[in-house]
Amino acid sequence: MSSMRDIKQRIENVRSVEQIIKAMDMVASTKLVKIRAQLEGVRPIYRELKRVAEEVGSQEGAKFHPFYKEREVKNSLYIVLTSDRGLAGSYNANITAKALEHMNQGKNEKIVAVGSKGYEYFKRKGKNIVQTIIDLPDAQVYYGTESLAKWLVDYYMTGEADEVFIAYTHFMSVLNYVPVVVRLLPVIIKETDKENEIKYEPNQDTFIDHMIPLYLHMKLFRAFSESHTSEQAARMVNMDAAGKNASEIIEKLTHLYNRKRQTAITQELSEIVGSVNILNKGGLHDN
Amino acid sequence: MAEQLTNAVNDKKITLNITTPRGLKFVEKADMVIMRCIDGDLGVLSGHAPVSAILGDGILRIINNGVVKKLALFGGIAEIGKKTVNIFSTIAQRPEEIDLERAETDRKELEALFKEKIEERRIQTSLILLRRTLVRIEVSMDLEEVEYFEEESEKREF
Repeated sequence: MSSMRDIKQRIENVRSVEQIIKAMDMVASTKLVKIRAQLEGVRPIYRELKRVAEEVGSQEGAKFHPFYKEREVKNSLYIVLTSDRGLAGSYNANITAKALEHMNQGKNEKIVAVGSKGYEYFKRKGKNIVQTIIDLPDAQVYYGTESLAKWLVDYYMTGEADEVFIAYTHFMSVLNYVPVVVRLLPVIIKETDKENEIKYEPNQDTFIDHMIPLYLHMKLFRAFSESHTSEQAARMVNMDAAGKNASEIIEKLTHLYNRKRQTAITQELSEIVGSVNILNKGGLHDN
Repeated sequence: MAEQLTNAVNDKKITLNITTPRGLKFVEKADMVIMRCIDGDLGVLSGHAPVSAILGDGILRIINNGVVKKLALFGGIAEIGKKTVNIFSTIAQRPEEIDLERAETDRKELEALFKEKIEERRIQTSLILLRRTLVRIEVSMDLEEVEYFEEESEKREF
């Protein structure tokens, strides 16, 4: 049985952990508001560019453009978006598991690990990591994704990879986020029966050459935003749960402490009463 | 009858939507829009044939009821329909959003750079930056002109 001092010490410990949890919860919720605004901003342009990219792809002649043409797949590149820091519940585990499941469909994979959690995970699995992006500050995400998009186009065009996938966490609501794997390149063509009479300036190939990098940039930026939003939401929800657990533990320990204290007092009292009784009867030397 | 007339006037207008990574930034009716594409300027009136174009770095002019508004627009694509022009760009700045002082110092720095000997690659990027700075300066000049005219008109009223 632990002594009263031990229990008191434990209560102190749990209380300081609770403080940290509360602070992290606050940080996550402020970050969530900020990143969510960014996500809401990027979604419309992404959606529109996706529509444009699909429209161009459905045109005759676009199917042979390198960005659209399906090649024989020798190497697949995976961009996996995870977080740099933990304490986000099952957020990282979900996305790495999803990516791994996709890779196990007989792909010869190369990995771009974004976030130290993903890097550590795939390193442990002995996967082929070609690039890592760790500790990218929030303010740098926009330019970071721009250079990543450029790198990606070069990598794809030089034939180092024949298809590119991105694994990110899609943000539905604060309580609901799903890990998804989607193909970035070659760009998916959506077949439409609709007669498309749009002209392209200066010509179709140049249009695709300029539009696709912008589309990729926006797609990456959006995926990063989705992932970051999900991460902060996951952290917030988990910290909330952890905070509740800590309060519960504190309550239980306080009960235990009080009971012990009461026992000690009762014991002392009964000792005093016992001694008084004996003294009243005339001390120990009666008879 | 009057309604029909206003409708007829509205029919001639095109709706301009500019979407940036920060959301739908700019929605406006206009008589004419002139944009800078990678191979020259492109003017759009109502009833234009559907065209999608690549934009370069330059000034977007929005002409409505004889008033010209200027925006700095760097890259992106434009999707032109009969009644709408949708522009998707990473940077679109109004005159009031441009920091003129910063643009001026940027221009001085870049121009000083060209006097020195620099590598070919840096010339290319610096040229793009200089072009963007010049566009910014010209667009922000527009703001001052507009303010000037507003003061004039106020004076006339009194």
